[in-house]
Amino acid sequence: MREQPRVITQEILHILIKDTEPWLSCDDCFEMLDEYADRRLVDRDDAHTSMVTHLEACPACAEEAASLLALIANDE
Amino acid sequence: MSAEAAGASPGIRACDSDQTMTRIGADESARAQSATDTERDPEDWIVALSVEGPKRHHALRRLHALLLRAARHQVRRMDTLLDGAGPDVADELTHQAADEAMVALLAKLHTFQGRSRFTTWAYKFGILQAATAVRSHAWRTRQVVLDDSSVTVDLGPSVEEYAETADLARAVRRAIDETLTPHQRRIMLALLVDEVPIDVLAERLGTNRNALYKTLHDARVRVRADLTAAGFLRAASGKGNAR
Repeated sequence: MREQPRVITQEILHILIKDTEPWLSCDDCFEMLDEYADRRLVDRDDAHTSMVTHLEACPACAEEAASLLALIANDE
Repeated sequence: MSAEAAGASPGIRACDSDQTMTRIGADESARAQSATDTERDPEDWIVALSVEGPKRHHALRRLHALLLRAARHQVRRMDTLLDGAGPDVADELTHQAADEAMVALLAKLHTFQGRSRFTTWAYKFGILQAATAVRSHAWRTRQVVLDDSSVTVDLGPSVEEYAETADLARAVRRAIDETLTPHQRRIMLALLVDEVPIDVLAERLGTNRNALYKTLHDARVRVRADLTAAGFLRAASGKGNAR
């Protein structure tokens, strides 16, 4: 049983009601991630709306996308 | 490089004759080429990894090196989550992630369609495995509490400060309590309020990241629909459309 009540901060409030349409699954995000990263390396504005929406709503996928971008940028 | 080292027959000095010099030169060149080949990535990864033989062994070694690089990069990025763990733990997680990424990648090799560079495609496997491993390790001793009874949500001071935001927060709390299924409520609160990493929660519940994200997405749709009906959000779908 929880000892402390949950606290909604302003940041959490916005995350709770985030619009996650258009839908993209984590699997689809992973599927598209390499192409997304290579294209972003050339053009920072080049990205699917669904991909951007997913990355804004899924911290785990967002971390992995940022990591991949950093890694391939190091290779350049 | 000595003659022996260059592959010349023992006992033959490099300066014995022009013929011997030529032979040694050819041997050195062949060895140098061989060394370069060993260090170089295959030109066509898919072919190299698909056909049995020395080229495949070489490609597998190079691929594992790529995955190690990606895993190491990821573990370093998340090293604050490993606070207190020694370098041995980070090293073990790195190598384990690279090994698991190798298995996962090879199982999906046939799906590579060349829409990105192969190295970028490969890196993402190493990054995913390493990130998952670090999160799992960081949470290994932490309990995940999933309440399915009443949801107690207190408003933080920053929310109470602003009447309009406080009204929205209370509406969100009500929507969570009244419109979500117990499962949706548990998942939403665990992921978004308690900040349990999605792959950690998936592991604890015996499910996967995809399924949990779908549950979360559906919960958000329900909450947003309720807030829209109550006049807190605009009806049209758009980003940041809280009134």
